[in-house]
Amino acid sequence: MIDTGEVSAFRDLHARLGDAVESAVRGKRDVVDLVLVAMFAGGHVLLEDVPGTGKTTLARAVAGALGGVSRRVQFTPDLLPSDVTGTSVYDPQTGQIRFRPGPVFANVVLADEINRAAAKTQSALLEVMEERTVTVDGVGHAVPDPFLVVATQNPIDLDGTYRLPEAQLDRFMLRTSIGYPSVDDELDVLRPGSGAGRIADVPAVTSPREVSAFSGRLSLLHVADPILRYISSLGVGTRSDERLRLGTSTRGLRTLVRCAQVYAAAKGRHFVVPQDVQDIADPVLAHRLVLTRESVLAGVTTSEVLADVLSRVPVPKPSAQ
Amino acid sequence: MRYAWVAAVLLVGSLQLARAWDGAFVYFGLAALAGFAALLLARLVPAGLAGLAVVVLAMAGGFLAARGASPERDPAWVLLDTVPRLLTAARPAPATPELLVPGLLLIVGVSTAAVLSVAKRGTALFVPALGAAVLYVSAALLTTGRADRHGLVALALVVLLALGWLVVDRHGPVLPPAVLSTALAAVTLLAVVLPANGFEPRRLVTPPVTGIAVANPLPQLAAWAAQGETELLRMRGPEVPVRLVTLSRYSGASWEAASTYGPLGVVDAPDLPTGGKVQDASVDLRITGLRGEWLPGVGKPQAVSLSNAMVDPDTGSLVVADGLEPGLSYTVRGVLETPADTDLAEASVPSEATRYTALPRLPFTLGEYARQATRNARTPYEKAVALEQVVRLDRRPDAEAPVGSSYARLETFLFGNPGEAGAGAGTAEQFASAFAVLARAVGLPTRVVVGFQPVPEQDGERVVRASDATAWPEVYFSGWGWVAFDPVSGNGSGPSAASKREVLNRLASTTATPTPTSLPSVPPLVQPTAVRPDEVAAAPAGESFPFWVFTPVLLLVGLYVARTSRRVRLRAAGPVGAWHEVLDSLQLAGLRPEPSRTVPDIGREWGEAGARLAVLVDQAAFAPRPGAHQPSWPLARQVRKAVRRNASWWRRAVWAVDPRPLFRR
Repeated sequence: MIDTGEVSAFRDLHARLGDAVESAVRGKRDVVDLVLVAMFAGGHVLLEDVPGTGKTTLARAVAGALGGVSRRVQFTPDLLPSDVTGTSVYDPQTGQIRFRPGPVFANVVLADEINRAAAKTQSALLEVMEERTVTVDGVGHAVPDPFLVVATQNPIDLDGTYRLPEAQLDRFMLRTSIGYPSVDDELDVLRPGSGAGRIADVPAVTSPREVSAFSGRLSLLHVADPILRYISSLGVGTRSDERLRLGTSTRGLRTLVRCAQVYAAAKGRHFVVPQDVQDIADPVLAHRLVLTRESVLAGVTTSEVLADVLSRVPVPKPSAQ
Repeated sequence: MRYAWVAAVLLVGSLQLARAWDGAFVYFGLAALAGFAALLLARLVPAGLAGLAVVVLAMAGGFLAARGASPERDPAWVLLDTVPRLLTAARPAPATPELLVPGLLLIVGVSTAAVLSVAKRGTALFVPALGAAVLYVSAALLTTGRADRHGLVALALVVLLALGWLVVDRHGPVLPPAVLSTALAAVTLLAVVLPANGFEPRRLVTPPVTGIAVANPLPQLAAWAAQGETELLRMRGPEVPVRLVTLSRYSGASWEAASTYGPLGVVDAPDLPTGGKVQDASVDLRITGLRGEWLPGVGKPQAVSLSNAMVDPDTGSLVVADGLEPGLSYTVRGVLETPADTDLAEASVPSEATRYTALPRLPFTLGEYARQATRNARTPYEKAVALEQVVRLDRRPDAEAPVGSSYARLETFLFGNPGEAGAGAGTAEQFASAFAVLARAVGLPTRVVVGFQPVPEQDGERVVRASDATAWPEVYFSGWGWVAFDPVSGNGSGPSAASKREVLNRLASTTATPTPTSLPSVPPLVQPTAVRPDEVAAAPAGESFPFWVFTPVLLLVGLYVARTSRRVRLRAAGPVGAWHEVLDSLQLAGLRPEPSRTVPDIGREWGEAGARLAVLVDQAAFAPRPGAHQPSWPLARQVRKAVRRNASWWRRAVWAVDPRPLFRR
């Protein structure tokens, strides 16, 4: 069981990280927080956004604040799996076959336009995301910890792309979008000499070691039974909605619990409340839902369906324990 | 669910209204459900059209039913005419078609409006409440509040309506329930108080009065006596004397009945009030051989199941203007005055009832005879008993005796020499008349009743024959009403005979004889016996305190106590209790948060106190091992104040007694 002292230490850390990242990515604290939640929960993030909204900046700022390594992979149709994971090469100096790590060997990996790569390359990345090791020539090579993949996807301009199948979307803990900044924030970014986008200036406020230590501890945060029951009824709600071909899987609900734990701790609480669940339900669950064809044609989005489910399922009533 | 509720409201209202009629419960109960026919119809056509159709159908039916009663009237007036008809009818009104029409139309209209409004959302509470109030007030007006003396039905209606707004109408009615309940309470109070103030819708309508020149039925007694076993009527019910006509005017030559009659149940009270001890009697009568216009009844009639029966309010004589038909069946409910002999012993007679003591040009002999016979009697009752005995003694009933009740005939009857026709012999006519004239001569208000003796029951029926016809005098005692005496010779028995003998014994022992008769020379009929004094009746209950006044007050106090105890309980329950107090306040203000909204989400709307309280509540509810919590009640109180400030005035007015939080889980 995690206590209040530990939680307030985490909240400070989370706030520091957030502040550091925000110095480079202006006015997107909520998205920054979500990405940090995914990192502490040991998951990965899918950003769906048009180019130029700061996806890369965000990923690199997180890496910078973490004090770890960040790499970027631009996915193209001719990208090979070994280009992502790394490969064995002959070292002429030593005369031995040596493993040369690919770009996934970093604390923060930015997989840009993941849907442009061929399916087998996508699979290679997703496998690393799940397994956290790269196996080449029968030898496993562990990726560093913490390991956060931030994949981006361009929702427009879908010609010649390979849509991620549902099973693979499920591998992403969160899906969100950055979106355009508000007018004030945009002015701030546009002003010459502003610190926005200067990754080099992002201070390293923690160490990868500290982050992975917290990550393990946070899974012990208290979740009361009524909250678990509430999460379960949310799952039932999505499964029984007529507009959905596929509701949330049990893995999706587990992920929701995990995210809610980190989210609650980030708010400085050593327990989860229904509001936490509601706040992160959309980024955690919406990309796991599959609409029926009719709903797609009717222009319904999974976020709308999920919002309906949230407004339909009663929250657990406060009662004395 | 809400249909069951509206049906219950309508049924209670309709059955209450049905009490203004005699046996209309079934019709009114069915009419109350007419709205559901409109509901079925509303599936085919728009609801407004459906409602209109049902009401028009009901009016057409009412028109046809009422048409039979006044075929010669302009059709446009037929329906309108039913209302004054109802107001001048007997009370409770007989359940004849033309009298039922106004009530049925009212109920059908109310029912249609209520059911159709419930089918729509929003006005669900308002229209049924208004309808129930209309029905209730109509019932109160038609019965002058007698249908609901203690306001219990009104209370039931209010409770039912309150249930409706709790159970049925979750989304809140268009009109605030507080306004409605206040209005309803006011109407209830008004309806119950109204009869005390004497408002009476019947005063607005002039009842038709019919003059009837009916022959004096007294001479008929001799004819009936001659007919013997001829069957006149059959009755079912208790063994009570049947009254045909009451004669209260004496001209010196004959007795006369009242000549103007009005509908039964109209406002006019009898000129002399009814006695303090009464009992109800209800008999079913079937005319078999009786002719004439007089309608046999019992006691002072309260209700007759014939719509064309009319009554003289002073005497209670019933007439049917069209005359009796063999086979006519009807029910009469009457009030019998039943004072005990001990009540009468000291009773006085009213001095102002000169109408019942009038004796135009009374011969001296009769007056002197009466005075001597009652010389030693102290009280009016003793005088009456003495006269009863005097008239009875030495006279024999004789069906062949000359008829008549003039002074001359009575002098012959009382003082005639043996051998003279009719001396010392007569029918009940002469016995009753002689008693009445002598009693009037000593100042006792007296009248003569023509009727039939009680007959034994055979196979569930009492067959009244011509030989049962008789006449008897009645004397009025203040506070006890009209008391029958039986001066006919040979009838020395009866329930009050013992006390009368006691009176006679005492009179005989203290005194000598009046001259013309042999009253004292007659030995007592029985040896004086100890007479057990009847239980002294409890004094007639005065104005009983109107305890119903307190029912609404008690209701309010009860609600307040329940709400306060809930608050105390919540206060002891820490932050969670404090949160429930906030939810109570929100409900009272008409703001029920969606069940899917979280505590902080709701709390934020009510300022900093709400947000802080929300944190405490979440901690108490979802944290592991919640320890000692910070004081949360003051925060809840701040939120409650904020919520209350935003509520409308009428919600604030009933804040402390609104029962809805009691039903919230």
